[in-house]
Amino acid sequence: MRSAGDSHRGKVRRTNEDSLIVEPRMGLYAVLDGMGGANAGDVASQLARDTIRDFVMHRQHTLAPAALLEAAIVAGSTAVFTEAQNKTDRHGMGTTVVACLVVDPAHIVVCHVGDSRAYLLREGRLQAVTRDHTIVAELVERGLLTSEEAERHPYKNVLSRNLGAKAEARVDTVMLEVKPGDRLLLCSDGLYGFASAEAIQYLLGSGDDPKDVARDLIELALRGGGGDNVSTIVIETAPAAPSSSQVVRTSGARTWWQHRRHFLDAASEGGLADNPIVSGLPPHEALELVALSLCQAIYHDLEKSTGVNVWTFAQNLASGWFQRGGEWEAIRGLVDILAASAHAVVAEIRGADPALGFLIDVAVSRALIVVELALGGLLAERLRQVDADLVELYTIELDTTMHDATSSGSHDAMVIAEPSASDASREPAARDSAGTITALTSRESLATIDAPALRESMSTFTSLTAPEAAATIAELDASDSDAGTTTAMERISFDDPEPDREPPPSEPVAARDARPTPPPPPPRAMPPPVPARAAPPPVPARVGARNLSADAAAHAASGGGLRPLVRTADTERVERFSELSIERATIPFLRPDRPVTNAGEPAEVLSAIAQVMILARGRISPRARLLEQVLAALDNVASDSAGNFAAAVLAARELYGVRSVDNVGVMPLFDALDQARILVAASVHQLRAPQLLRVRVLRALSTAHQRLVGATTGLVLEAVAPFSDRLRESQGLTGELRDAVAKAERRRAHLERRFATIVDSSLPWGTRGTTEW
Amino acid sequence: MTTVPTLARSYEALCPKVMQRLLELRGTLDPSLGRLDEATARTQIGAVLDHLGNFLATGDVGLQRGFLHTFLAMRAAEAQSPAATLAMLVAIGDTAAQVAQEEVAGGELTLLLTRVTASTARAVNDLIAEELGRRAAQRNEITQRRGAR
Repeated sequence: MRSAGDSHRGKVRRTNEDSLIVEPRMGLYAVLDGMGGANAGDVASQLARDTIRDFVMHRQHTLAPAALLEAAIVAGSTAVFTEAQNKTDRHGMGTTVVACLVVDPAHIVVCHVGDSRAYLLREGRLQAVTRDHTIVAELVERGLLTSEEAERHPYKNVLSRNLGAKAEARVDTVMLEVKPGDRLLLCSDGLYGFASAEAIQYLLGSGDDPKDVARDLIELALRGGGGDNVSTIVIETAPAAPSSSQVVRTSGARTWWQHRRHFLDAASEGGLADNPIVSGLPPHEALELVALSLCQAIYHDLEKSTGVNVWTFAQNLASGWFQRGGEWEAIRGLVDILAASAHAVVAEIRGADPALGFLIDVAVSRALIVVELALGGLLAERLRQVDADLVELYTIELDTTMHDATSSGSHDAMVIAEPSASDASREPAARDSAGTITALTSRESLATIDAPALRESMSTFTSLTAPEAAATIAELDASDSDAGTTTAMERISFDDPEPDREPPPSEPVAARDARPTPPPPPPRAMPPPVPARAAPPPVPARVGARNLSADAAAHAASGGGLRPLVRTADTERVERFSELSIERATIPFLRPDRPVTNAGEPAEVLSAIAQVMILARGRISPRARLLEQVLAALDNVASDSAGNFAAAVLAARELYGVRSVDNVGVMPLFDALDQARILVAASVHQLRAPQLLRVRVLRALSTAHQRLVGATTGLVLEAVAPFSDRLRESQGLTGELRDAVAKAERRRAHLERRFATIVDSSLPWGTRGTTEW
Repeated sequence: MTTVPTLARSYEALCPKVMQRLLELRGTLDPSLGRLDEATARTQIGAVLDHLGNFLATGDVGLQRGFLHTFLAMRAAEAQSPAATLAMLVAIGDTAAQVAQEEVAGGELTLLLTRVTASTARAVNDLIAEELGRRAAQRNEITQRRGAR
């Protein structure tokens, strides 16, 4: 058990009328606050002090501890009363007392008279052990005054009991059961009258030596005004085993800081000065700016059990670098060097003190996680910004491309209308225009386009409004169903920007090639994105598409010779469209190593796909409606001979229509997609068909599934865009709050530096020098 | 001889407690995770815990990267930003380390889990940075192409 006491006359009083008893051998401690008359207060407290101490010393083994202490205090009162009666100049003198006697390591008896107090600090919480003997306090106890009234009462400091007022004093006694780590504080009113309970609790719980705490408490009262004599005694029971966090905060932080030179050396050897982030700085300056700053940030975070300093360090470092256009690799390399330096320091500490080194190892590893978290936040924010730019750019790009396609589409269609144009002359023309979507506009390739689906898809991304798109689709469908054999040229002329223009005369291929390409139209302003829910309902576009395919097949069978051209143009179109909207989609983390291409499937494959679907449907429960819908969607996408992404978008929209991120989430939909993939793959194996055909069917279905999943993911992202905006706003607010917290932390650190009583110059900003480790 | 298999076994024995703690805390770990019912949340957290166990046992960085790639994509499909996903992964790893500190003597498992979490955070950042690089290149390419026109 450790103990210490201290006393000060304060900033106002000329004399110190307080007295202390600090007798660890006897286990006796007391604070006495004298009062009354010139020089009489100190006489009263000293007289009572001596009497109590002598009484306990001589009768320690004759009475029980509580009775002994009570009797000693009564004897002290008698002595003071007698002295006051005998000498007129000391008439009215008296003293308060709060005293304790250690019975055994687990028990302490506390007695008091007057307004000197005893506090117990247990597990960081401060509890009052005594109750003041003042008139106001007794009125409050009887219910005659409220606590608020007592605070303002003019007689709040008038004692109802003291030693010396009567020959015998009435003593209050408390038997305390103490635990390891408890601290008992005895003090006069000069402390609690000029210091808050929170500040007393903070100092008492600092873990410092009792001697330092006793002195710091007096300093606290003096800073609070020091209007009275102030006395403190701190008694600490057997210390409890420190928790790991306490060890890290105290000796861990200090040990880390003591190894800062090693950290800097390791960073220097690791090549920190060569990193592009600090290029241009002298090596020593680079080390100080980066390595020492991180070392200091880790020290402060270890001491405070926070991560705010390391977070701020990493964020400042990386945001500055990113704003200068820097790359991730440089940050990554720098953090690697710093992490390696930290681990080198930790290894050295573990060699000297394995237990402490282990705790520091865990704490430093966590600090490095905080660094990664801060960097991840910045990277994610940059990714979001780039994504937003890409969406805008793609929208304008698709808009422009569509305009080009429709303009030159009508023109070429009119050229092809000339029956004398030979296959041989048209093929080079199509090849020459490869790389642009205008190559699609030969009659045969148009015949393979799933025009309604393509139009619907484009309307989602370009400037067509939803009603316009719906009108377009309705008209196309009407023409499909009415004419049945409507030519592709007629379908495309629907979109001709100049529908009344007369077809130009045919011209030689060479002349056509030499014709300058018309300049692209200026990009239109980016239209507002079409919400998934507001889009027109999907239409049964399959009939038209099949008819067009049939036209193409019939034409190929009768005329022959054009199929290679059809395939080439078709493939170019698909590649072009895929380049724009699939392989470079804005879906995060879409693997780039999985190109999605499908140039349409022959009839035998389509027939086999239909059989596979029948097999798959037969294997699911009638109640699995979502799975059945997914299979139907998969069938549509896989059978899409046009081979573009539009069918997948339509199917995904239909599926997504019944799901919402606000309701049960989209995971059931993705689960169903996964189950459908497994079902279909198993069904392909059951198909009675040549191996080659089964392979083609499986490939077609896999491609379709991939498209469907991609389209569904895109819809989900589109739907959550508003939430992303809100999230961004929240992130902004969080950032502001974090800055405010960091500012408050800095302010707190500044205040602690300012009010630290002893500065240890070996530490970065000083701390109390005799901290108990 | 490495002690990792022993620690991996300790981790496996600890997993139910970690799972229980995470289920109790899931609302504070991640708002979207907090909205899920217990069975679904158990599935998602279980995947991360399984990954942690696999990584403890094998140390296979390729597997770790593959898992994180898929996990990021799945969370992105649920409108979770990469930063929030990273925070969730770290919170799960941190909770596992905390439970290990409370339940397992010696502390080596705590240290190992902390380091695995740091490695996970780094891997996630690498993935985000790669994605960022790809998209920035696309943006530059499109911008240049438009400028050329």
